[in-house]
Amino acid sequence: MTQIIIQGLLLSGLYALIAMGFTLIFSIGRILNLAYGTYLLIGGYVYFYFSQMLGMPKLVGVLLAVIVGAAMGLAKYRMIVKPLKGDHVTIPIATLILAVVLQSGVILVFGDSSKILLPIVPGVERVAGATIPFSNLLAAVASWAILISLYFFINKTHTGRAMQAVSMDAKGAAVSGIDSDRINMITWGISGGLGALAGVFFASYTQLTPSMWVAPLIISVAIVIVGGIGSIVGTLIVAHIIGFMEIIVTALIAPELRGVFTMVLIIGVLVIRPQGLFGREEI
Amino acid sequence: MGTIAIGEKRMSHPLEITNLVKRFGGLTATDDISFHVEQGQSVGLIGPNGAGKTTIFSLIMGELRQNSGTIRLYGEDIGGLSTPARIKRGVSRTYQVPRPFGEMSVVENIRVGLMPDSIWKMITQGPDREREIELALSVGFSENDLNRRPDELSMGDLRKLEMARTMATDPSVMLLDEVFAGLTKGEIAQIGELIQQMRRDGMTFLIVSHDLKALEPLIDSAIAINYGSKIAEGDYADVISDPDVRSSYLGVA
Amino acid sequence: MGLRWYHFALWAGFIILMYAMPDLVSKGTLRTFIFANFLAIFAISWDVLSGRTGYISFGHPFLIGIGAYTTAILTKRFDVAIEISIPIAVVVTMIGSTLFILPALRIRGSYFALVTLAFMELIYQLVQVIRPDLTGGTRGMSGIETLTRGAVNGYYMSLSLMLAVAISMWLLMRTRVGTALSAIGMNEDSVQGSGLSTTRLKLFAFLTGAFVAGLGGAFYVHYLGSIAPRALFDINFVFTIIVAALIGGSSTIIGPMVGAFFLTYLLEYLRPFLPGAERYFIYGGIALIIYIYQPKGIYAVVMQAWERLRSGKSA
Repeated sequence: MTQIIIQGLLLSGLYALIAMGFTLIFSIGRILNLAYGTYLLIGGYVYFYFSQMLGMPKLVGVLLAVIVGAAMGLAKYRMIVKPLKGDHVTIPIATLILAVVLQSGVILVFGDSSKILLPIVPGVERVAGATIPFSNLLAAVASWAILISLYFFINKTHTGRAMQAVSMDAKGAAVSGIDSDRINMITWGISGGLGALAGVFFASYTQLTPSMWVAPLIISVAIVIVGGIGSIVGTLIVAHIIGFMEIIVTALIAPELRGVFTMVLIIGVLVIRPQGLFGREEI
Repeated sequence: MGTIAIGEKRMSHPLEITNLVKRFGGLTATDDISFHVEQGQSVGLIGPNGAGKTTIFSLIMGELRQNSGTIRLYGEDIGGLSTPARIKRGVSRTYQVPRPFGEMSVVENIRVGLMPDSIWKMITQGPDREREIELALSVGFSENDLNRRPDELSMGDLRKLEMARTMATDPSVMLLDEVFAGLTKGEIAQIGELIQQMRRDGMTFLIVSHDLKALEPLIDSAIAINYGSKIAEGDYADVISDPDVRSSYLGVA
Repeated sequence: MGLRWYHFALWAGFIILMYAMPDLVSKGTLRTFIFANFLAIFAISWDVLSGRTGYISFGHPFLIGIGAYTTAILTKRFDVAIEISIPIAVVVTMIGSTLFILPALRIRGSYFALVTLAFMELIYQLVQVIRPDLTGGTRGMSGIETLTRGAVNGYYMSLSLMLAVAISMWLLMRTRVGTALSAIGMNEDSVQGSGLSTTRLKLFAFLTGAFVAGLGGAFYVHYLGSIAPRALFDINFVFTIIVAALIGGSSTIIGPMVGAFFLTYLLEYLRPFLPGAERYFIYGGIALIIYIYQPKGIYAVVMQAWERLRSGKSA
């Protein structure tokens, strides 16, 4: 029981971190960035390359991963989202193509086989029969810290409030003098950086493979859809529902079924309550 | 009140609205509105921006659902029907912002309006090209315009297309929403003449317009609304000189 | 339907060329063609369901998989004859597609795409756990009865099926129902406002798309003789189908066919240089550039060039 709670908390923290970058983009303009998972993919591999292959300090590796992720976000906004004018049919397709391109790009450079990422912080702690790798603990703590600072950033700073304004009503925001293009750039940059950071933690939680972008994408989708658009608190709650359900299903029913609950949740919520459990209603 | 009983038969008005209420959250967009339009009559619906004119259209067409009240078409309560079912019963509307099919030519746009609501008939019967062209020409398109696409059309042409597609559904009651907005003088005269022609042919109209000068000759009577409530009804001249109407709608003048 | 002499001439020329192919190319190339034929069927099916209506399905393997698994299970586990199991598989796929209509009544655009993606992931996970004695679990099934032996026969079978599907869908989409489905993709509210039940039209698109997907999936599994969940319910497979349909040209029947052959050939051509999955790097890169440049695909690019050439001549 204690084990389930501890593992559930750790996994949920990681999931909340994974979903955060996705939520930001989806809240602004309902853009479905199916290449979101590739931030995690590229982030994980960048960290692997610099800190494990070149032997640079781990913090430098993490920092480089975040920078590359942010740069990817900006490039994606400039080269795909803007030219396609935020269209709801073409953007999901274009980003899906991009994701497959990046995945095969990783295979081209690093090969097809999976790689074990050394934990960022070595060592484990045993609590009531549960083994907690420090690395996972760090991931959970970091994700909580990031979520809290993001919450304050969005609600307390000028830029954060401008982001909220754009997400609620792009035209209205433009009328009140907000440069929505600049806000979009900032949001895509943050989203990419967060995704890449989550990728470093996610890869050390599982392993580094070229197809590791799919699972985080689906988790993010589930959390955003179920939590509701533009709700950080909703994101946090649903990340815990999904994280705990996965741990419970794995421990008590069958490991193969751990994703089923997530899928049923996505389908059910989209069909019954498309605005999400905690989101605002859209007219 | 709206129906006159003649023996067992009931003579009904083409359109009759009774105690219609629509609320959005705390805002009451349609507040207990009742009126009717008689056969072959043309009624103007006037009021300031946000008075709730378009909401009434959306309620009549079933694009929005009323909180309470009834909408009758030739005596039949259509308040619970889907939009296509209402159109089949003879009511059709145009939109303030024209909504053409962006990658279809003028005739193809009209073709969609003419389609029967039966997939079997869509597959087995070809389009009625003569009728498509006839409708396009009747709203004032020239032969050269038939294969133009919406992105090559002016606002006036788009409104004509909207009219033609609405007429294609073969309505007996037409709701026109701001048909004159953004049109040149010549186009206003052209559309006005088309409406007059249809009135002579017995069409029943409910028309929303800000352009009162263009609207006046086209209507038999007027209804003024403000904040979702009916404030005056009757002869156009009486309605427009009503003090409530003047202060709400023409208050600036 | 507005059929002209050149329609017949083009189809006849294409058919003759395709049937002569086994005499013109090697057996290895022929196997590539077989895959291209099946990919064309799947891409046409996707285009009928999504390409016109704008209800983008990211879960197309869900439908293909239902068809493939139904006939595989019936023939292998219950010894049902193929002639019976394939029609059953098609019907089951069509029933499965009605699951799509529920969300399609309430949500559009990105949200619909997400539900279909979730459907695919759901069936992928369920197929491995529920009754693995029937589905073969994670490993899938092999030793499924095949319809043909050898590349040449396989080619003729896949080609005939592809042509039957392509021509019948081409004819169907030239009727007013094709126009109505395209109208949904352009402005669904206006279709309603024209007095047409969009629910019924969408259901028709889903059922027709599922019919083709189920048929293609069933024949595909009886060509391969095996089925594996990871290869089938895979986002890379979704990618291949959608890219084939879009690169060729959505809302046409020729487009998905052109796309399927173009992409299969590109992959084959790249094999000597890039033997593994990294081929998708170039393949996807080209797809992305074409898509951003012209979302309507190669077909539209060629048609525009043709129009320009013609108007240039006449001017």
